[in-house]
Amino acid sequence: MDYNYRPTVGTPMEELDTPCLILDMDELDNNMDVIAHFYAGQSSKLRGHSKNHKTPAIAHRQIRRGGTIGGVCSAKVAEAEVMVHGGIPSVFITSEVIAPLKIDRLCALAQDAEMLVACDDPKNARDLSRAAAAQGVELGVVIELETGMGRCGVQDVQQGLALARTIQGLPGLAFKGIMSHQTIPVMPDREDRVTEARRVIQGVINLKDTIEADGIPVEIVSTGETWSYDAVGEIPGVTEVQGGSYLIMETSYDYMTEFHHAGKVLTTIVSTPRPGVAVGDAGIKAVGMLRAMPEVDGRPGVTVDSMDPDRTVYKLDAGVELQIGDQLALLPPQQDAMVSRWDRFIGVRNGKVEVVWDIQARGCHN
Amino acid sequence: MERPIFQPVGTPVNDIDTPALVVDLVAMELNIEVMHSYFRQASANLRPHIAGHQCPQIAHSQIDAGGTVGGVSVNTVGEAEVFSDSGINNILVVNQVVTAAKIRRLCSVAQRCRIGVAVDNAKNVDDLAQAALEAGVTIEAYVELEAGRGISGVAEGKPALDLARHISKSKGLHFGGLLAMPPVPKARKEGDERIYPTHVEIKQVAVQSLQPVLDTKKSIESDGLRVPNVAVGGTWLYDIAGDMPGITEVIAGSYPLMDYDSCQLRGEFSQAAKVLAQVISHPVEATAILDAGHKATGPDLGIPVLEGMAGSKATGFSAEHGTLKLEGEAAGHFNPGDKAWLLPYHLGLCLNQYDYIRAVRDGKLEGFWLMPGRGRFG
Repeated sequence: MDYNYRPTVGTPMEELDTPCLILDMDELDNNMDVIAHFYAGQSSKLRGHSKNHKTPAIAHRQIRRGGTIGGVCSAKVAEAEVMVHGGIPSVFITSEVIAPLKIDRLCALAQDAEMLVACDDPKNARDLSRAAAAQGVELGVVIELETGMGRCGVQDVQQGLALARTIQGLPGLAFKGIMSHQTIPVMPDREDRVTEARRVIQGVINLKDTIEADGIPVEIVSTGETWSYDAVGEIPGVTEVQGGSYLIMETSYDYMTEFHHAGKVLTTIVSTPRPGVAVGDAGIKAVGMLRAMPEVDGRPGVTVDSMDPDRTVYKLDAGVELQIGDQLALLPPQQDAMVSRWDRFIGVRNGKVEVVWDIQARGCHN
Repeated sequence: MERPIFQPVGTPVNDIDTPALVVDLVAMELNIEVMHSYFRQASANLRPHIAGHQCPQIAHSQIDAGGTVGGVSVNTVGEAEVFSDSGINNILVVNQVVTAAKIRRLCSVAQRCRIGVAVDNAKNVDDLAQAALEAGVTIEAYVELEAGRGISGVAEGKPALDLARHISKSKGLHFGGLLAMPPVPKARKEGDERIYPTHVEIKQVAVQSLQPVLDTKKSIESDGLRVPNVAVGGTWLYDIAGDMPGITEVIAGSYPLMDYDSCQLRGEFSQAAKVLAQVISHPVEATAILDAGHKATGPDLGIPVLEGMAGSKATGFSAEHGTLKLEGEAAGHFNPGDKAWLLPYHLGLCLNQYDYIRAVRDGKLEGFWLMPGRGRFG
């Protein structure tokens, strides 16, 4: 648990106790509006992923601002519990749920919300069916198709069709459709992204066509993520796009200039031990350094040199000085890896605290 | 916050809901006994660092095991608050505390707890002294020496002497002594393999990095200022520093629970903390997918090692999933529903992702231990 820090509304940013996780509310709203605007003209809609923010208040704001299906994706059952208990009416768990204890919790949530779950295995489908029937609820089941992650999912159209038939015949389950998840290539050119998305997602469309030709309706085709939101959204047949990174943003998506950095870790310089070197009070535990080092926001000449679990060492270009007590903001290389370390967002607008949101689903790994 | 299923005491370890941070209490107690039995007879005392568990129960059992200074060290003021609230009354903050708000919090803890803090800057000394005077408390300021990590700290010799003098003249502060945390000797990479230094090499590195600390102590004392403590860390050099004349405190945090990296340097301790995960998909013969990704393992400095059979290996961790590669005799194993044990590479980063330890003994759940120090980044 973190230090129970709730700065009052109106607190100036420079008075915040650090390290803290801040959300630039103007940028958060901008990112939501980009999505609302894009999907206004599309037959598909976004189903925002809650694994990125883990906060029902953000999910509700995202749905209110538009462009979404009116529900969210969640990675885990515990995260879905937080969303459903927080009033989200439709939750799609995009991972396979195997353990009987977890399946029972999933079914319990179906009393209060539409619950969808990914599946890639007939035995798992039968386990889901038994539990749903026993609790008298209906689970929506979405077949996961492997499209290049080397992770979960049925491997081909034949496996997918067989699983759809199995699910169709099981009590307590409603076969809903197909999902896939892809890797994230850096493709600054939108044309390249559209071409790549169409190539990868063709397998999903093929599976949809095959299942429908078999007489089984496919209501949901869910795929994509932030890198392909504008490419996948336009592919005929896709009904839902999964996306979440765009909200908080991270440096690996900087090529998507329509989205702006909303999530940052505010840090204070605690030591200036040698010329050209400064040490800050936020380290790996607070920001993460999985794909790359974080970047310093808006301070030319100041770069991250190294990190340890609790501190970061900054290199200063000639002529650049930092004093003990100075604040910096760090931009994450991977936003959900940063958010998952914190219990609270401090929302800031015009340099002042506007709102404090508990990250209620932090640590919901199960 | 984690939302564990609080299963009953006595639940077999393999039935624990996943992903879970599981601590084998027998292994932990053995680790503590190995370390503390050494310090019960060594010339220096041990100061357990709580970054290796963030858990007050464990801190108290460390202090109860003897050979310590009677307190702990922490990285942040937030951690000092948590551990002082749990009844520990001697805490050393091994980082700099500089902002007015943080210094006020530190002084507040000092009302009820003996507090030391690392300093490397004269202005910071003045700020601490003024706040301590106003609050009516005394804070022990330790001069941090830069011992090779390239992070904070003043240089050995004169800069350290000047800062020590400055502290000794500051009302509200006591000169606590010297603090140095030399870098942990790194494994060198040969292809895919990490080659860890031998005990002889470790000893050479430790003696080399500690000598300047002892020389600085000598020069401060020959200038007429007593150096009450010389505190150095961590687990990797414990029995080298522990009997080195002049060193009074050894700071160590990894040894109760350990992690994969630390175990390669110090084989007398074993890995007591592991992540229990479950296979949720086995899409092709050679691959199994776990329900524990990087959010549940903290692999920023190195990915966890699978405790499995020959031919099985953890190869990748995305946000929510871990990937196992299975070859040879492992190929038919790790089916959906099966459990897998992961050995964290760096424990501090792993337990940063959890709120609870599942404490187990002899294969059965003994309790859920909260880690209230987790997330206290400031």
